Amino acid sequence: MSPYVITILLSSLGLGTALTFMSSHWLLAWMGLEINTLAILPLMAQHHHPRAVEATTKYFLAQAAAAATILFASTINAWATGEWNIYCLTHPIATTLITMALALKVGLAPVHFWMPPVMQGLDLPTGLIMATWQKLAPFALIIQMAPTAHPQLLTTLGLLSVFIGGWGGLNQTQLRKILAYSSIAHLGWMIVIAQFKPQLTILTLVIYIIMTSATFLTFKLMTATKINTLAMSWSKAPIITTMAALTLLSLGGLPPLTGFMPKWLILQELATQGLPLTATIMALSALLSLYFYLRLWYAMTLTISPNTNNSLAPWRLQNTQNTTLLTIFMIATLLLLPLTPLAQALI
Amino acid sequence: MTPVYFSFTSAFTLGLMGLAFHRTHLLSALLCLEGMMLSLFIALALWMLQLESTTFSAAPILLLAFSACEAGAGLALLVATARTHGTDRLQALNLLQC
Amino acid sequence: MLKILIPTIMLFPTIWFSSPKWLWTTTTLQSLIIALISLNWIKWSSETGWTSSNLYMGTDPLSTPLLVLTCWLLPLMILASQNHIKTEPITRQRNYITLLASLQTFLIMAFGATEIIMFYVMFEATLIPTLIIITRWGNQAERLSAGTYFLFYTLAGSLPLLVALLLLHQNTGTLSMLIIQYSQPLILNSWGDKIWWAACLVAFLVKMPLYGVHLWLPKAHVEAPVAGSMVLAAILLKLGGYGMMRMMVVLDPLSKNMVYPIIVLALWGVIMTGSICLRQTDLKSLIAYSSVSHMGLVAGGILIQTPWGFTGALVLMIAHGLVSSALFCLANTTYERTHSRTMILARGLQIIFPLAATWWFVSNLANLALPPLPNLMGELVIITAMFNWSPWTLALTGAGTLITAAYSLYLFLMTQRGPLPQHIINLQPFHTREHLLMTLHLLPVILLMTKPEIMWGWWY
Repeated sequence: MSPYVITILLSSLGLGTALTFMSSHWLLAWMGLEINTLAILPLMAQHHHPRAVEATTKYFLAQAAAAATILFASTINAWATGEWNIYCLTHPIATTLITMALALKVGLAPVHFWMPPVMQGLDLPTGLIMATWQKLAPFALIIQMAPTAHPQLLTTLGLLSVFIGGWGGLNQTQLRKILAYSSIAHLGWMIVIAQFKPQLTILTLVIYIIMTSATFLTFKLMTATKINTLAMSWSKAPIITTMAALTLLSLGGLPPLTGFMPKWLILQELATQGLPLTATIMALSALLSLYFYLRLWYAMTLTISPNTNNSLAPWRLQNTQNTTLLTIFMIATLLLLPLTPLAQALI
Repeated sequence: MTPVYFSFTSAFTLGLMGLAFHRTHLLSALLCLEGMMLSLFIALALWMLQLESTTFSAAPILLLAFSACEAGAGLALLVATARTHGTDRLQALNLLQC
Repeated sequence: MLKILIPTIMLFPTIWFSSPKWLWTTTTLQSLIIALISLNWIKWSSETGWTSSNLYMGTDPLSTPLLVLTCWLLPLMILASQNHIKTEPITRQRNYITLLASLQTFLIMAFGATEIIMFYVMFEATLIPTLIIITRWGNQAERLSAGTYFLFYTLAGSLPLLVALLLLHQNTGTLSMLIIQYSQPLILNSWGDKIWWAACLVAFLVKMPLYGVHLWLPKAHVEAPVAGSMVLAAILLKLGGYGMMRMMVVLDPLSKNMVYPIIVLALWGVIMTGSICLRQTDLKSLIAYSSVSHMGLVAGGILIQTPWGFTGALVLMIAHGLVSSALFCLANTTYERTHSRTMILARGLQIIFPLAATWWFVSNLANLALPPLPNLMGELVIITAMFNWSPWTLALTGAGTLITAAYSLYLFLMTQRGPLPQHIINLQPFHTREHLLMTLHLLPVILLMTKPEIMWGWWY
C-alpha cells in the first residue's frame, strides 16, 4: 500500500478518535466512531488474504451493528428527554443499550466473540492498533456515560470479562488470540472501576496500552505468531527474550512490575467502595490469565536448549527493525511500579 | 408510545434481530444494517420535524452520508469475500475459529 | 538499612562487570562482607524496639535475626551453586547470580519494610526470581509443574490477603507496623469479618506451609537447584512466619476462637509429614517434608499468641533456616557425585567421605534438636507454650519430636552407614569449598548457643 494512502488512513483513524474525544453530542461521537471504523477497514484488509478479509468482514459487522445501536439508543433518549448531550443519558433502556453496544465495540465479555478471530486474522502492527488505539474512542464514551449507567451491569460485564478473558486464553496456541483474550481480561478491570473512579480507568487503559504495545512489538521483532515460534526466539534475540518474559508477567500483574499498579489501585478503590467480594473475585480470576502468560513464559525462556523443539529454526537475519519504541515501552512495562504514589497523586 | 416512535423502534429492532439471528448471507446482513440505518434516518428526520429545530436539520443528511459510506465499505467487503472465499455465505467465514 | 541495601544493589554491577575468572570470587566476597556488616543490626538500642533508617524501612528485634539470616545466606548460596553452574556459558552464570542477588534485595526490603503493603509487594516480588531459579535451572521436566504449583499456590493465597489489607487500611487509616498495634481494636463480629480474618492469614499459612496446603513445597524443593532449595527452606518459608507474627497483632479479638482448626491442622501436620519422611526414598523430598513438619510447630507457636510462643517460633525459624539449608547443601553434594536423589542408591558414604559424614551427623543432630543447639531451644519453648495452652497438645508435639528424631536418624543411617554399593566408584573427593560451606552453615548454629538472646524477638 502506498505511503500516501497509509498516511491518509492513519490520520483519519486519529481524526475519528479525536472527534469522539471532543464531542459532547451523541451524533458527533457516533460520526467519530464511524470514521474510525471506516479508516481501519482498508488497513485490516491490505493483504489480500482470505483470513484478513474474513477478519475485516467480521470486524465490520460487529462495529457497524454496535455503532448503529449507539445511535439508536441515543435517539430513543432524545425522543424521551430531548437531550443529545452525552452526559444527559437518563433513559434507562437507552443507557443499557449503549452500555452493551460499547461493550460490543471494545469486546467485553458476553459480546466478545468477534475479538479473538479478528485479532487472529490481522498482521501484528494492525493487531497492535486494534488492541490499543481502537479501544480509546469507545472508552472515552464509556467514561463519560459510566455515572449514569446501570452499576450492576457494569460490574457484571467486568467480572465476566476478567473471567472469560482468563478462561478463553487457556487453550490457545496462537499468540494473537492469546493477546485478544488478555485484552478482554484487562478491559474487564477497566470497566468494573469506571463507575467509581473513571481516572483509574484511564490509568489502567494507558498502562494496558504500554504493556500490550511492548508485547506486540516484541512479537513483531521476532515475527512470532505461535507459541512454537516463540520457543525459538532465544537464539535470535536473547536479551529481548528475557525482557519479554518479564513483560508477560507484567501483563499478568505480578508485583514488582508495572502491571501490578492498576490492579492494586483498582482493588483498593473497590475495597473503599465496600465491594470486597467483587475485588476478591477479580483478583482470583486474574490468576487464570496469569496461567497462560506463564505458559508463554515457559515456552519462551525456561525450556531452552538442550530441549528438543518441534519447530523449524528461523533464519538468523540481521535485524533491521527500529527498536526505539519497543525499548521505551518495555522499560515502562517493567519499571513503573515505584511511580505508584505519583499516579495516585495525579488521580 | 406514538405510532411514529413504535414504527422506527420496531424497524430498528427487526433489523438488529435479523443481523443477529439470520446469518446465512453476508448480503442479507448488509441489508439488515442498511435497514437499521434507514430507520435511524427516519427517526432523526422526524425528531427534527417534531421539534422544529432548524439547527438539527443537517443531522439526518450527515447520517445518510455516513450510512452510505458504511454500505459502500460493506459492499466492498462483500466483493472481497466473494473473491477470497468464493461465496458470500457467512458460514464460509470459518478460517479463524478458535 | 541503606548501608546494607545499597551494597546489595551494587552486587549487580559487580556481577556484570567483573571478569569471568573472578566472577564467583568477587561476588562471594562482596556478599560475605555485606553479611558481616549486617551483623551490626543485632546491636539495637532503641526504646520502642524499632530502629528506622527512614519512613519506610526499619528493623526491630523480630525482623533483625531474619534479616541477618538473609544476608548470611547469599554467600552460602553462591558458594553452593558454584560447581553446577560453572559449566554453563558465562552470561548464564551472571544471570544466575543476578537472580540470587535480586532475591536478596527483595527479601531485605520485605523484612525491613515498616508498611504492611510494602511487605506484601516485596513478599510477592520474591516470587519471580525464585520461579526463574526453579524452572530455568531445575533438572527434570517436572520443574515446570513445580514452578506452576509454587506460583499459583502462593498467589491464590496472597491475593485475598491484598484485598484484606486494603480493607484494613480503609478501617484503620494506616498500615504502618509501628502504629497499627496502637490503633483501636477492630470490632469483628460478622461472618464477613471471619472471612477477612482467614484471608489475612491464609497467604502466610500457604507460604509456611501449613499441612494441607503444603503440596507445592516438596515439588519445588525437589526440582529446584541447590540455591533455590536453600533459599526456599531458609528464608522464603520464614516470610510466612514473619508475616503471620506481624498480622496477629491486628487480628486480636477474633483469633482466640478462630485459631483452633489451624492449630490442630498444624500439629497434625507435624505428625503426618514426619511420618511421610519415615517412608521417603527421595533425599531432597525427605528434607522438604521435614521442613513442613518443623514449620507446623512454628505455626502452632505463633498462633497461640503468647510471648513464649513467638520467641520459640522465631528461634526455631532461625535455627531451622540454617540447618535445613545445610542439609540441602549436603544432599546436593551427594547429588552432584552420584547424580541421583534416591537414598538407597548412595549408601555407606561414611567409608569414603568421613569428614562429610561428620557434617551429615552434626546437621542431622541439629535437625532432631539435640540439647544444646538452638533448634532444641525453639522446639522446647514452643512445646512448653503449647502445653501451657492445652496439655493435650503434648501428645501431638511429643510424638512429633519422636518422629523427627526417628527420621533424622533414618536419613543419616540410610545415606552414611552400611556397606558401600558396588556401583559407587570413582566419586570425586570433597572440595574445600564444600567443607567451607558446611562450616559456614553450622558455625552460626553453634555460636548461637552462646548468645541466644539475639533471636528471642520482642521479649529480649
